[in-house]
Formats: sequence, structure tokens, C-alpha cells
Amino acid sequence: MLHYRYLFSQLVRRELRQKYKGSALGVLWYLVNPLVLMGAYTLMFGFVLNVQGASRPSPYPIFLMIGIVVWTFFAQSLLAAAPSLIEQGGLVRKARFPREVIPGSAVMVQLITFAAVLVLVVPIAVALRGTLTPALLLLPPLVVLLFAFTLGCALIVAVLHAYFRDIAPIIAAALLPWFFVTPIFFVASKLPPVESHPFLGTLLDWVNPIAPFMLAIRSVLFYGRAPGLGQVLYTVVAAVVVLTLGRAVFTRMEGELAVIV
Amino acid sequence: MSVQGLRPGEIVLRDATRSFSIRADQARTFKGLLLGARAADGPPPVPALRGVSLHINPGETVGMVGRNGAGKTSTLRVLAGIIPLQSGEAASGGRMVSLLELGSGFSRDFSGRENIYLQGALYGFTKAQIDERIERIVAFSELGHFIEVPVKTYSSGMFLRLGFSIAAFLDADVLLIDEILAVGDEAFQRKCLRRISEQIAGGTTVVLVSHDARAIERVCERVVVLDAGRVVFDGPTAEGLLHYHRLMGTEHGGGESVRAGGEREIEVTDVELRDGSGRAGTVFRTGSPLQVAVILKVRSSVPHPELALEIRSADGNRVFSTATEIQATRLVFEIPSLALLGGDYDVSLAAGDRGVEADGDRTVGFSVAAEPGAEGIVDLRGRWRIVEPAQVGP
Repeated sequence: MLHYRYLFSQLVRRELRQKYKGSALGVLWYLVNPLVLMGAYTLMFGFVLNVQGASRPSPYPIFLMIGIVVWTFFAQSLLAAAPSLIEQGGLVRKARFPREVIPGSAVMVQLITFAAVLVLVVPIAVALRGTLTPALLLLPPLVVLLFAFTLGCALIVAVLHAYFRDIAPIIAAALLPWFFVTPIFFVASKLPPVESHPFLGTLLDWVNPIAPFMLAIRSVLFYGRAPGLGQVLYTVVAAVVVLTLGRAVFTRMEGELAVIV
Repeated sequence: MSVQGLRPGEIVLRDATRSFSIRADQARTFKGLLLGARAADGPPPVPALRGVSLHINPGETVGMVGRNGAGKTSTLRVLAGIIPLQSGEAASGGRMVSLLELGSGFSRDFSGRENIYLQGALYGFTKAQIDERIERIVAFSELGHFIEVPVKTYSSGMFLRLGFSIAAFLDADVLLIDEILAVGDEAFQRKCLRRISEQIAGGTTVVLVSHDARAIERVCERVVVLDAGRVVFDGPTAEGLLHYHRLMGTEHGGGESVRAGGEREIEVTDVELRDGSGRAGTVFRTGSPLQVAVILKVRSSVPHPELALEIRSADGNRVFSTATEIQATRLVFEIPSLALLGGDYDVSLAAGDRGVEADGDRTVGFSVAAEPGAEGIVDLRGRWRIVEPAQVGP
């Protein structure tokens, strides 16, 4: 695998360049999308739908932005990884390199974008919320854990889609409702229905595997405090388990890839 | 796939078996899964390899021949480690580079130079290793300034130049080449063969799939003939090619008609090729007699009945033709000494009123076994006579 580091970096660079080759803003488009999303959601949830009271922390755009960039990384990684093996069929049929580099590079491209957006978002959040605390040191490890978790999901989605071409559309369809139940634009415990039925909050914060990552990152960036031990343990275990599972599924199914893609 | 104990360049295939599903849509869908569709639905899988065993030593050059669908490409893809076996074993030592699908694996929006790096990376080379080799790759490809142009503008010949140059100059321990040299122009083909020979001299193991018997003859010392997924011959090149020609010859026999329906006044109905002693055959030797036995059917008389005979080389060029006014229903054309060199040829016969073109009442294929010391179509072998010996020394 180490042998193929150069292939990995070539694929990542190629993807970054190819995507926006010939467009005026180029790679900057990677930053425009989350910013536009943030603007739209601020308008919708902040003013039009007017999410009320304590479930709408202030400044709301920053609260929202943190959730959106984390979600965007996760969702875009899955959407990019799913068809990746088929799109790169020419490479798969040509040589016997480790196939993981293909979905892996798709996720890496998203990680680079994610990092670039964070470079913009983190200083703003820290300045506006005054969260320059030691807890901020937890941000890099949390991003690594999120990356591992996402990579594990991406490996499964990519290899499954090569065999069953329904996977990518299913993922695309599932991501929309998933977005709305993820604590991106609300604080679960402060939602009116959750106040009367607390188990709903547990459901939203713990059953959805992406939620603890989001809450932990937001805890560091928005509230300036270390995430709870439960969240930290959850993210570590989820990252390790999902990545291990992803690799196992991928290894088991990769054999026939050159025949089917 | 690199197995412990194999020397770099060594290849082992033990009882390799592999079949393919031939469903139009290879990928399964959830619908199929939910409805319980199994592999049993649709046509049964087609066996591509049925127990192929090969042992190739480092530095050996092996030509692989056989009919279409005999399993040549599958064997290469198994050797390249791209396709897994259903049973048996495949292993190779050292680094392997393959030239399988022309133009695949190139990024269309990127320049030739950028694609060289990507291809190198695909085979596990590092940037430094490719840096070392890139100038030789670019020079060999003769692409000039096109090397900086996106490859989507390339012709198939240019893809071949780039693809071959990459494969041939990455200096792998094993080089696998599938029927791709046919695309390039004559001069580049010759250059490729020369480069392959150089690599062989440098100790690279080469496995070459080709229909071009002459290319195989030039570079390979050993030939493997595959038929229906099995090895039917494995040995020295000259014998192997003869075996291959014989195999291909069985497809002809009796002569095929290429003319569409419609009965004509006179017609060739059967053609048989015979050797000097009158035995029917499809493989002949340079310098030995060849007889073409012809049977005609005469339905009504024409004023000037004529029989035309033409011999064509495998690439369709006319090697020889003749037409004779003749009144007969059975006759034999006798060639006392066959002046053709090793390769595949067709004999085409046509009968009709004067001026008929010999493009085929009946066409029969035959092969000529390769001769040492001569290449080409016509046997013009002579002797060198020394007029003035070289002066050695100052």
C-alpha cells in the first residue's frame, strides 16, 4: 500500500484539477458551495422558519456553518466515492494496484476541501465566540476520527455500488432526510418535542452515527469546551469499527472489480 | 500477488481456471437481488481458462497464439493479477507492466506527459523513478510537442506510441503485451519489436499475444498455443507456429463461398490443396510442391469460359494471380516449388465468362511454415559472394 502513495497523490491532484479545469473560479468552487448553503439555511431556519429560543444559539450563522461543513464533508464523500470505482474502470482494468486508493482518493479530495473551509471558519468562530481554549487542540484528532469514519463508509458504498448499481441513488435519496434529523441547524435537547419526550433527544444525538462527530466538533469550536467523555468514546469506537468493517467488506468484494466495472 | 520464493520475472500458472458470465448487464441490481435472481438465470458462464498451467522463467520470451476466444487475453489478465482465478494458482515475481487495453487508463483531459506519471504510478513506480525514465519515454514515443497536449486529441496510433513507450521504458521484470502492435505504422511496429528485443536482452520476461506470426517469430523463443481455454502446445517457436497454423487451417477446408446466392452458368464448387504426393493439407513448406485441385460445375455453355486463381497474403494483398481459358470440370493447378515464405495465405478461385475477377467462388486458406534466415512473402534466398574481404587492422 505504501508502494502506491504516489498513485494516491496523483489521483487526488488529478481529481482536484479535473473537476474545475476551465472554470473561472477553479478550486474556489469547493468553498463557494458550503458558503452558499450556509447563507440559504441561515435565511430559512434563522429568519423564515425562525427556529425559536434556546434551540437557536447565537450567532446562528456560525452555529449553522459548523454543522454544514461537517455534514458537507460526510455527504459529499459518500456521493463522490459511490461511483468512483466505475468512473475509474479504465485504471482498474489495467493494473493490479490496491483498489482502495480510488475511493480513498475521492474522500481525500473532500478532506482537502473540508480543511480549506475550516481554515476560513475556525478563525471566525473562535473570534466571534471567544473559544480560543485548550479544547481547540482536540479539533485535529476529531477531524481525523471523522475522516476514518467517513472513509470506512465510503469503502463500503463504493464497492457495493460497483456490484449493485442502485447504491448511489439510494445514498443520494437517503442523505436528504438524514440531513434533517442530524443536529445541524438545531440543538436536539432544546427542541420543543424533545423537552416533553427526552428519549427523542437521545435518539437524535446518539443513534445517528454522524451526530456525535458533529456535536463534538461543535463543542470545541462553538462552545470552547471539550466534548463529553461519552462523545469522545463514541467517535473513537465508531471510527475504528467502521473503518475496519469498511476495509473488510472491500477486501472481500474487490476481487471481481476488473470484471464488473 | 508476488509470491515468496519466485525470482523477479518468474511466472507460474498452475491449473488456472476461470469462466465469465456473459450477461449483457454484468452488475446485479437490487431488483434482481430482491426477486431472487441468481447466476443460474440467463446463459451459463463461459469458460475462458480450463486448467492452464505454465511456468515461465525469468528472461524467457513467450508468444501466445490461438483463435479468437481461446483464452489468450484472459491468461494475460490473470497473469497481470487483474482478474482472480476460480481455482488454481497464479503468481509472478518482481514488477510487472502490462499493455492490455490500448488507451485505457489515460486521463483524457491531461497531457501525454502527465499521463506518463499517472501510468507509472499505476504500476507502483515512485515519482523519482518516473523522473529518471521520462525523457527516454518521451523520446521513444516520437510525439514531439504533442506530449504536452491533452490526450483526448490523440489518434489511436498516438495512443499506441505513448502506451508502448511507457510500458517498454518503465523497465519492469515482466512485460505483458496484448495484440496492440497492429495499430501502429510499419516503422513504429519495427521499432517496438526492436525495443522488446532489447528488453529481452536485458533480462525482462516478455509475454506477447499476437496474431502476427512474424512478430512472434522475431521476438519469441517459445510459443504457447491456446485452444478453448487449454494449452494445446508449449514449445519452440517454429514448431508452435506450425501447430497454430494447422489449428487455424482446420477452419477452412473445402473452401468457403463468399458470393451471395444466384446460380451462374459455370461455378467453382470445390477446392482442395494437396502436397507433392497428392495428400490434402493446409500447411506447406517453402520450396515444396503445391497443387490446387478444382472442381467446376457447368450449367450451360458460355463462349469463353475462364478460370481465375489468385493468392493473397494475410493482409489481403495480392501475391499472385492468373486467369486461363479452359474447358473442364476437374483440373489441378500445379506449383512445382512454392516461393512463398512463412505466413498465412488465401487461394481464391472464380469461374465465368472471360474477364471474371477471382474474388471468390471459393476461397481456401493455407499456411506456410516459417523458414530460418528469411522473412517476408517471397522466397528470394540467395547467397552472399564476397568480392573483397574486410581489411582488419590499420
